[in-house]
Amino acid sequence: MLCLENIRLVHNPGTPTEVTALDGLDLHIPAGQFVTVVGSNGAGKSSLVNVVSGVHRPRSGRVIIDGRDVTRLPDHARAAWISRVFDNPLAGTAPELSLADNLALAMARGGRRRLRPALTRQRRELMRAQLATLGLGLENRLTDPVALFSAGQRQSVTMLMAGLTQPKLLLLDEHLAALDPRTRARVLELTVRMHDRLGCASLMITHSMRQAIDVGDRLLVMARGRVVFDAAGPDKTNLTPSDLVDIIAGLGDAPTDRQLLAG
Amino acid sequence: MHYLLTDTLIAGLPLLPVVMGIYLVIRIRQDFDLTVDGSLTLGGAVAAVSLNHGLPVPVAIIAAIAAGMLAGLVTTTLHLAFRVPVILAGLVMSIGMRTLNLRVLGRPSTSLDAGAGLFGGLSGLAPTAHDWIVIAILAAFALVFLAGVSLLLLTEVGLALRATGVNVGMARAQGVDDRRSLALCLALANAGAGLSGALIVQSQGFADSSTGTGTLLAGIGAVLLGELVARPGSASRVGRVALSVLAGTVLYRAILVGALRAGLEATDLDGITALILVAAVAVNRYLPTLNKILPRPRSRAAPGARSSPPVRSTASRRPEPVAEEVG
Ligand SMILES: Nc1ncnc2c1ncn2[C@@H]1O[C@H](COP(=O)(O)OP(=O)(O)OP(=O)(O)O)[C@@H](O)[C@H]1O
Ligand SMILES: [Mg+2]
Repeated sequence: MLCLENIRLVHNPGTPTEVTALDGLDLHIPAGQFVTVVGSNGAGKSSLVNVVSGVHRPRSGRVIIDGRDVTRLPDHARAAWISRVFDNPLAGTAPELSLADNLALAMARGGRRRLRPALTRQRRELMRAQLATLGLGLENRLTDPVALFSAGQRQSVTMLMAGLTQPKLLLLDEHLAALDPRTRARVLELTVRMHDRLGCASLMITHSMRQAIDVGDRLLVMARGRVVFDAAGPDKTNLTPSDLVDIIAGLGDAPTDRQLLAG
Repeated sequence: MHYLLTDTLIAGLPLLPVVMGIYLVIRIRQDFDLTVDGSLTLGGAVAAVSLNHGLPVPVAIIAAIAAGMLAGLVTTTLHLAFRVPVILAGLVMSIGMRTLNLRVLGRPSTSLDAGAGLFGGLSGLAPTAHDWIVIAILAAFALVFLAGVSLLLLTEVGLALRATGVNVGMARAQGVDDRRSLALCLALANAGAGLSGALIVQSQGFADSSTGTGTLLAGIGAVLLGELVARPGSASRVGRVALSVLAGTVLYRAILVGALRAGLEATDLDGITALILVAAVAVNRYLPTLNKILPRPRSRAAPGARSSPPVRSTASRRPEPVAEEVG
């Protein structure tokens, strides 16, 4: 499904602040697989997500989605295959637009946007039905600007938007980081449900070792722009958070306080 | 009193298309495009020259709209090709188009041939009947444009445009090409300016190489006044946006016409425009306080966007009054 070949990504090349964020990274994710990714700050996790989504173009290497080389496509041209949820709950929605407008924008993702009404009665019905599955009462607030919603509500809406089309790949970059524990559990459950329903591949970045082990089919540890540890099946389920912390510490990267606490 | 009304409408209605265009740029896209100054003059010049060459009125008006639209697309191209800010690309265009417009007109000012244009056949009528027929025709054009743009904003294409102005990162993640949205926005804004120019020239009976000077500022004044009156708030309330543009334009013109009636000179009008801008900005600034007294709160972007420059709040990007001499 997703194939990354020898990806090199360099920020600010040729300047004193040059950073190699991805250093010859290879990764293959088959269709339907749920992959969790951990690693220290600056390991290159977000860079990986940004190269896959097309926000950053790698200096060398290829990005292949569904057999198609998309390395040169900008992010908006990859939206048909990829749904993204950001770490910042404010980033995934347009605050001044109504909830209905935000959802309508996502419903047309990847297709050709036409000169037909963005909001129709049918679409509103569909939106209400979808929103009702969140259990937050948002189905009655279609005309409210999303700016009025809490972070958890907005992140839930962003998750919902990600599943309104049929993406091949779901990219989740610490999408639970800004949420309180209860909301986090709820949005995580929503994530897993959505992955199962869509049957897409998912890539979830997290700083919680527990989550990384408990959720998904495969676990990656990243350090210095590469994948340094890759486990699936029983190898993954038998891991403990302290094993992971040891792996990260053993690489010379200091685990963050958050990782230690989350363990 | 009666003349105040007819003068206001005859001077104000032709401006509606360009003010709607300016609203799109400054409020929907959160940008500034000075090209409209040049496009309005260009639209007027193209219409006048076409009419004086004996072309039919619809052709002249369509040519004026197309000329404005083209200017908007050139500005878009300058912005995208050379990565200069839209405001700078528009500034360059507005200066360059002064020369272009003189070339199109052939001289600084040209009268329409007798009987030419939309209102050419009305010359035999009594003044009052004449004025109201002119108003009806101008209103038809202006309102059709306003309605057309509003309907467009409600389509999938228009929704994409509205989203790029609010959160461009999110819009791109949803598959919106924001370069295309910008091109659409500037093309529409300048097409509106072209139409306004054509309407102004035909209602005045002459085209001038400085017809469009100060249009952007006047448009900002009208937009701010309209927001004070109609308070559209969210870009999701498209009908209210159109209403606010309508109210703002008419009110802005009424103030200028009123000032003239009160005995001020035509040369004082730029000062009045500056005062309107300052007053509107000042009132907008204290609107949060006013909102506690008045019903219907404006919606604002949630504060505290963590690390996402794309998430912008309109409140923080109110245009500052520009103390520059216009005209
Ligand atoms: N836009 C940028 N400009 C310059 N350097 C960058 C940029 N984005 C990331 N980097 C650098 O690239 C490296 C990898 O960063 P990246 O954001 O991928 O790390 P991460 O694994 O997501 O970290 P975190 O856990 O803190 O989110 C870091 O050294 C970072 O400083
Ligand atoms: Mg990151």
